[in-house]
Amino acid sequence: MATSQPPIRLTSHKNFVYRLVFSALTGRTVHISQIRPSSPTNPGLAQHEISFLRLLEAVTNGSQMEISYTGTIIVFKPGLITGSGSGAGASSGGVIRHEIPAGCTRGVSYFLIPLCLMAPFSKAPMKVLFTGPGVITSSTPTGDMSVDSVRTAILPLFNQFGIFNNIELRVLKRSNPGPNGRGGGGEVQLVFGHQVRLPKTLHLMNAGRIKRVRGVAYSVGVSASNNARMIDTCRGVLNPLVPDTYIFSDVSSAPLVPANDRNNPSAKKKIGLGFGLSLVAESSTGCLFSADVACPPSGGQPPEDIGKQCAYQLLETISKGGCVAPAAFATMIGLMTMGSEDVGRIQVGRDIVGDESSIQLARDLVKFGAPGWGLRDASDDSGDVIISIVGRGIGNVGRKVA
Amino acid sequence: MIGKRKRDISAVSRPKKGGNREESPVAPEPSAQDKLRKFFEAQFQPLDVKARTAEDESEVEFDDDDEYDGDSQEEESGSESEWSGLEEEKENAPVEVVEYQAPSRPTGDIIDKRARKAFMTSKPPSFDIDLTTTELSKKAVDDEEDKDVESLNLKNDLALQRLLKESHLLESASDLAPTGKNRHKALDLRMQELGAKSSLYHQKNMPSSMRKGIKAKAVSKEDKRRREARENGIILEKPAPKKQISGGRRERGVGGPSIGKFAGGTLNLSKRDVAHVQASRRGGGKSRGRGKTRGRR
Repeated sequence: MATSQPPIRLTSHKNFVYRLVFSALTGRTVHISQIRPSSPTNPGLAQHEISFLRLLEAVTNGSQMEISYTGTIIVFKPGLITGSGSGAGASSGGVIRHEIPAGCTRGVSYFLIPLCLMAPFSKAPMKVLFTGPGVITSSTPTGDMSVDSVRTAILPLFNQFGIFNNIELRVLKRSNPGPNGRGGGGEVQLVFGHQVRLPKTLHLMNAGRIKRVRGVAYSVGVSASNNARMIDTCRGVLNPLVPDTYIFSDVSSAPLVPANDRNNPSAKKKIGLGFGLSLVAESSTGCLFSADVACPPSGGQPPEDIGKQCAYQLLETISKGGCVAPAAFATMIGLMTMGSEDVGRIQVGRDIVGDESSIQLARDLVKFGAPGWGLRDASDDSGDVIISIVGRGIGNVGRKVA
Repeated sequence: MIGKRKRDISAVSRPKKGGNREESPVAPEPSAQDKLRKFFEAQFQPLDVKARTAEDESEVEFDDDDEYDGDSQEEESGSESEWSGLEEEKENAPVEVVEYQAPSRPTGDIIDKRARKAFMTSKPPSFDIDLTTTELSKKAVDDEEDKDVESLNLKNDLALQRLLKESHLLESASDLAPTGKNRHKALDLRMQELGAKSSLYHQKNMPSSMRKGIKAKAVSKEDKRRREARENGIILEKPAPKKQISGGRRERGVGGPSIGKFAGGTLNLSKRDVAHVQASRRGGGKSRGRGKTRGRR
């Protein structure tokens, strides 16, 4: 059926992963052109985008892609989302091993969040192990959230769509970004074992009030006192506002990656030292807001600053209002769009809807044939916007037998 | 001392005997208070509270040594008052005590551990850790007497609730504890309240004619009750909404056929299924979405 339809033509590198994800979910071929055409040094697809394409190929069956010579044009014809069943990519135990190359500047959440959006619609459970010298588990200067925030602020959202069983995100090795923000040495395993035909229709109109804040302070290869200092300043800001604030400390040694030394091939080097903080606020109605700050790869920022920054960032995220944090917007909207042919509603802060990436997402969804959003002002005086979304009703193609 | 004050610490100063302020940078405050006092005095009796402004202090001093003339007094009063304040402080030495509290907060280790266990798993965390239970138990340990009273109250409360719920089983008000058959019924009620699926006395299998009879009887009884109530002008509760028989809206199994029943290696189509398939083929899109709703939620 997909073969008869012409490819969807899109331009620019923006929103690349979600375009591919929606392509895989809807089964439509995409043709993305003008990918960084004017960049003199790095035209075409970036390293992390190629890596994501590889991942997409591993979890699907029958995907085809053609990349132009310069890498500025890609045609992606999606296959069936199979997960890590008995496919070719899965190794023993049905775990797909995805290696991220050393030069990657994006955090592993760049791969995780879109993968989680696809996982409920796969045929078999999705088990992916992210390894290699490019896995950064912390938040990055490129704007990716940390793995802890993915686990504590993104994955619980699936519960609202009736997806909750056997979901795990194991952080096997932590890593901050390496020198110049490139590479890490972390290891993360995602198990997403709850596949559904269609996610439930969501009506989320009441943001409630923040009742608790939890967080994880991590330090990799540096002193654990950094954690204590971050936690202390952060609690100094948050405790007067939310007494139920707990931040847990996680200390780990620095990961070792092969040094690529010609004289000593077995040499290894430490990489990805640093520390950071991930905070999650939960409201009384189960809405989650997260904040993430890590020390910059160049260093030079005391942990007190990180703690304070993170606390303020959390407050800013909460102040944007609505029932969904900006970081979780695409996931929520994606799941609602893939839901049954029913109108779901969600209240979102005005700034979040007006954000460039949100609008880009909306335009892309329209291109993929989703009905437009209905927008109206919230009835309360919060200034929020209620988005009504009609589901596509396609759901899990792999589950639709006969 | 002033430098210390600026820091973000809790400074607790002992109450000073003399109303001496070491400085008066808070000029607008006394004037506001003055206004308030004047307003109050206008409304009620004049107050004989001594106002503690800088001018007053200086006046008191000048009362003591009144060899200066009035004009120069006014001029010097401001500077004089400041001096007197500082000197007085040195003499009487009302020591300002500064308690420095580190901003660290006490942490409950047990709660911490439990919360940590719940949060730092590989699963998406469940935020629903009850921190109150441990706190409750701590309090209970603190005062034994309260505990006794509490337990007694709880017992009474339970007894009252049971009485309210099961009183319809009792024949007379004299014996409050049900006995015999009624006791069993009461136990059954409690079981149901605790989450039992159905009553112990619900007979699962019986001849259908008997079941029909029972249902018909129940319906007629209810009808009769309602009719009589209406005739007598009594307003009854609204009839309970009829239980909807779940009309095939359940989640279909994975990998199953979307039509028919797969058993023993064969796909069995009922007449209805066949008719449905044929109707959809013949009618095109006129099947009123019957096929669409199938197996979808």
